[in-house]
Amino acid sequence: MTSAATPFEFKQCVTILKSTGKKAKDLRKLSDLISSVSDESIFHHTYQYFLKEHVLEYTNDFAHWVGESLEERSLAEQLSNVDPYGFGTIGDLRDELRNVIMAYLEGSPEPREARPGDEFYFNETATLVFPVGIWARNLAEFLMAIKLIETGSIYYHFYEARVRVEDKADDFSKWIAETLGEKELAMHIRSIDPFMHNVEEIQKHIADAVEEWVKRDMERMVQVL
Amino acid sequence: MIAKYAGIAPKGDLIVLLKLAEKLHKRSFLHVNSTREGGGVAEILQRMIPILQSLGVDARWEVIEGDPTFYEITKKIHNALQGNPETITREMWEHHFEVNKANAERINLGADAVLIHDPQPGPLVEFRTGGTWIWRCHIDISNPSKQVSKALGRYADKYDGMIFSVAKFAQALPIDKFIIPPSIDPLSEKNRELTGEEINEAVERLNIPGDRPIILQVSRFDRFKDPVGVIRAYRMVKKYNDCVLVLAGSPATDDPEGAAVLEEVKEFAAGDKDVHILLLPPFSDRDINALQRVADVVLQKSLKEGFGLTVAEAMWKGKPVIGGFVGGIPLQIVHGVNGFLVNSVEGTAFRIRQLLNHRELAARMGQKAREYVRTNFLITRQVRDYLAVWYALENKGKSVFVL
Repeated sequence: MTSAATPFEFKQCVTILKSTGKKAKDLRKLSDLISSVSDESIFHHTYQYFLKEHVLEYTNDFAHWVGESLEERSLAEQLSNVDPYGFGTIGDLRDELRNVIMAYLEGSPEPREARPGDEFYFNETATLVFPVGIWARNLAEFLMAIKLIETGSIYYHFYEARVRVEDKADDFSKWIAETLGEKELAMHIRSIDPFMHNVEEIQKHIADAVEEWVKRDMERMVQVL
Repeated sequence: MIAKYAGIAPKGDLIVLLKLAEKLHKRSFLHVNSTREGGGVAEILQRMIPILQSLGVDARWEVIEGDPTFYEITKKIHNALQGNPETITREMWEHHFEVNKANAERINLGADAVLIHDPQPGPLVEFRTGGTWIWRCHIDISNPSKQVSKALGRYADKYDGMIFSVAKFAQALPIDKFIIPPSIDPLSEKNRELTGEEINEAVERLNIPGDRPIILQVSRFDRFKDPVGVIRAYRMVKKYNDCVLVLAGSPATDDPEGAAVLEEVKEFAAGDKDVHILLLPPFSDRDINALQRVADVVLQKSLKEGFGLTVAEAMWKGKPVIGGFVGGIPLQIVHGVNGFLVNSVEGTAFRIRQLLNHRELAARMGQKAREYVRTNFLITRQVRDYLAVWYALENKGKSVFVL
């Protein structure tokens, strides 16, 4: 089994929620505020949605609120289809969210307001990143580690990495391809759709893929002997 | 001490807690509130201060003192912030300030970080001498009285940051506003595992019959907790399912209305030997623990709520909780997954009947409830968050901190 010169260091992030003090009671206000709130707030309501426990119904907080609180199902579906990883900057993502809302408003009767207390509250986060004290030098160690780490670590390396790493890849596949040279396994991990799973499912998919790979590697070694 | 939480709290929380504690080692952290016992704030401070100290942070807890008039005023302020119409005169505000001024002369307010809990000691910020000052609001102020909100706003501006339990409580103030839910301590007398003997001893001593399902609400005797509504829901259930209702609460020294509400509740329940109203002395933690463990269904039918820690307590014991759709309760109960959210007496009665008639559903929800609390509402997460806020306020201008 190949051992890496540069081990993979597992890190994790936790977030502390901050309120911007801004809220929207209807779609026009939501659209206005999407234009003006901080990048951190847009980031929180889109990318960090995957850090929260959720059922696979929406893919960001805006879609969730539009679907559940305003009961505008069609717009919720359209907003859920906006892929935050498809944009180069937060500004571009912000524009797309606004365009989707404005196009919907032009073609629909004016939607109702949210009930008092059920408005959309714009938040942002302070994020703490820290090493969890686990390193992997080869795939067998990686497999043990991936089963052991918490969901905050999966989020950091699988989701958050896509806005941190230059080629928008996750940290796991990048290390497996570049350091271990296992490009096929890396591609397999990279092909897991981040939208279609919660963090626990992503963890299981990666563990299953690596386990299968390690098993095949071991079988090959036995045959050589 | 923190090692005791290994295997109970999430590992990541413990790691980040130790890293933050390294950064803030031997620095002073003062907490100030208005009561040493009774209510969720005092309870969490009793547990949190020793944890902070064991992590090497120089933590201290002070309690302000006031006369009965002061507590009547602060109760009115509390009610007004929760949306009740109250009249608070200029003389009352002056008294509120003067009592705080006297406390500022008595209490050493010097610390690297000062966390002021709730509005009672809010004016202490006028006497700040240094350090990072943070105001922690535990109550539901999503619909506050404008007059009271404005009056308190002049103090809020003088803090470096504010902490709310729920995002919708946060007001549009030009300072950093953090959202930190409160928490429970899984090792406290109120939440630790109990033996069968301990549970039986408590239940027998409190005269709670064990031959029928038990419905429980643990809370102060406060109109916002709707104890009368709970009795009405129980009466609806009783027509279909024979059961026992237990209303258990402790008096709080900063709540002058408690005795009057208790009398109202007793009067409303009069004549029903299956309604058990228990006024437990402060620190009856093991009894509350036992009641929550023996209950079949736990209620928190609040009409207004800061957060409602009793919900997380019961969930940690694997109980499905039926809670009012107010304050922080929807953050704890995921409707239909780990409990039920209700909006009426009728809804409460319906969900009680559902859980009494579908025991497997109740057990499954209870298991999910425990795991949800483990991830989100244990004390280690809250200590982590408080230290993170302090650290973030000392390193302003950044949104990502690499530890």
